[in-house]
Order: sequence, then structure tokens, then C-alpha cells
Amino acid sequence: MSETSKFTEDILNSAREKAESIVREAETETQRASDEAKVSITREAEAIVRNARSDADAVKRRQISEARHRVKLREQDEKDKIMQDVLSQVRKRTSELVADETKYLPLLTRLIENGVRELGDKTVMVHLNKSDLQENASSLDRRIGKSLGQVKVEWSREPIETTGGAVISSLDGKIRIVNTLDQRFEALEQKLLIEARASLFSE
Amino acid sequence: MSGIETVKIIVDAEKQAAKIIDEAKAQAAAIRKRISALVQEQRTQMLTEAKREAADIAAHAGEEGKLEAEKFESESMQALQAVVARASRRKDATVEKLLTLVMQVD
Repeated sequence: MSETSKFTEDILNSAREKAESIVREAETETQRASDEAKVSITREAEAIVRNARSDADAVKRRQISEARHRVKLREQDEKDKIMQDVLSQVRKRTSELVADETKYLPLLTRLIENGVRELGDKTVMVHLNKSDLQENASSLDRRIGKSLGQVKVEWSREPIETTGGAVISSLDGKIRIVNTLDQRFEALEQKLLIEARASLFSE
Repeated sequence: MSGIETVKIIVDAEKQAAKIIDEAKAQAAAIRKRISALVQEQRTQMLTEAKREAADIAAHAGEEGKLEAEKFESESMQALQAVVARASRRKDATVEKLLTLVMQVD
């Protein structure tokens, strides 16, 4: 081979090597880019599915939460109905109590004595409803006279509007202890509700 | 071989070498372009698939949630009915207990 031929062959061989290198580099580079793109796309796709799952869980949680709320309201409503029914029966039975002398008179006596003691005066005025004033005042006078000793009880001739019980006041009317059945029921209502709830709904 | 002929041969070889390299560059550009298109296609395909799966999940979520909520509500209502029935049985005793409290004067 002549020197010239050898020289030109070298030029071409060098060009071929460089060409191979250019192509190889392009292949390597694109393969790397492809791999990186795959990772990135996979992440993007996973994020889409993950977000959908998260949204779906939120939808389910909201539906369950709404159901819980509906149940709670219904439960509250049902329990309230029963409680109100019980309180209404107690109120009715309390009103009926005044017709049963054997139970009512001792109760009325205790209510008056309690009011008198709470007031603490030597002379007190007791106010009753019309029926008690007509039918029970004298009987009460005897009973109370025994138990209160030194305290002088006066009976107001003006009847008060109440189911039963009494109002005990100082003679000038400035201090009043209201021991009527209506007031008693009202004062005890919260306690009655707590007792009723415990009695009706405890396990 | 004359000097001019030698130079001509070398120039031709240089031209051929340049052509080989140009062809290689064109091939490299084609490879890059092809891969880029392939990646784009793959991206579209995978994301479309992911979006379809997401849509399926969303569609079922409402139904699953509804079923779970109905099941919960039904079970809770049964439990509530039992509570109400028990409370109803205890009503009379409770009324008596509260009456005692109303009549109890300290």
C-alpha cells in the first residue's frame, strides 16, 4: 500500500470511528432520557391514581359522617320523645296527687314547714290555692302548729293560682318562699331530666 | 503519482470522511427524534390509563360510600330500636322514681 493510500485510509477510519461514536452517544443519551421520562411519567400517573383514591376516601368518609349525623339526630329525637313523655306523665301524676288527700296533705305540710324554716321569721303568712284554702287550711293549721312550735302561721285569704303547694312569705310580703308544686317541678326539671336519662337509657 | 494527484486523492478522502460524519449526525438526530416521539406516546398512554383508573375509582367511591353509609345507618337504627324498646319498658319505673323526687322535701 502506498503512503497516500494508507493516509486516506486513516482519514476514513477515523471518520468511521467518530461516526460510530456520534450514533452511540445519541443512543446512550436517548436511552437515558427515555428511562428518566419513564420514571417521571410513572410518578405522574401514580399521583393521579393516588389523588383519585384520596378523593374517593374523602367522599366515603363524608357519606359515613353524614349517616352518623342523621343517626345521632334520630337517636336524640327518639330519646327526647321518651323523656318528654316521662316528664309529662310525672307532671300529670303530680297534678293528680292533690286529689289524693293521704299523699297530698303530708306533702303540703312538708312544703309549708320547709318554707317556714327557710324564711326563719317568728310570724309567717302562708298562701294556698282556692281548693286548699277551703278544704285543707284547718287541718294544716293543726299539723303545722305541732311541728313548728313557736312560729305563728297566718293563712292568707287571697288564694293563689297554682296546682298545689304553698307560698310562704314574711308578713310584709317582701320575702317569699315559693314552694308550689308548679315551681317545684320547674326547679327540679333539670335534675329530673338527668335522673330520667340515667334511668331510661343506662346499660 | 504526481503531487497534484496525491492532493486530489486526499481531498476526496476528506470529503468522504465529512460525508460519513454528516450521515452519522443525521442518524443521531433521527434517533433522538424517534425516542422523543416514543416518550411522548408512552406518556400519553400511561396518563390516559391513569386518568381512566382515577375516573373508575371516583365513580365507585360514591357507590361504596353510599353502601357503607346505608349499612351503618341500618345497624344503628336496629341498635336504636333496642334502646327505645328498653327505655319504654323502664318508663313506668322511671315515672315513679321521678315522682318520689318531686315529693321529697328536705
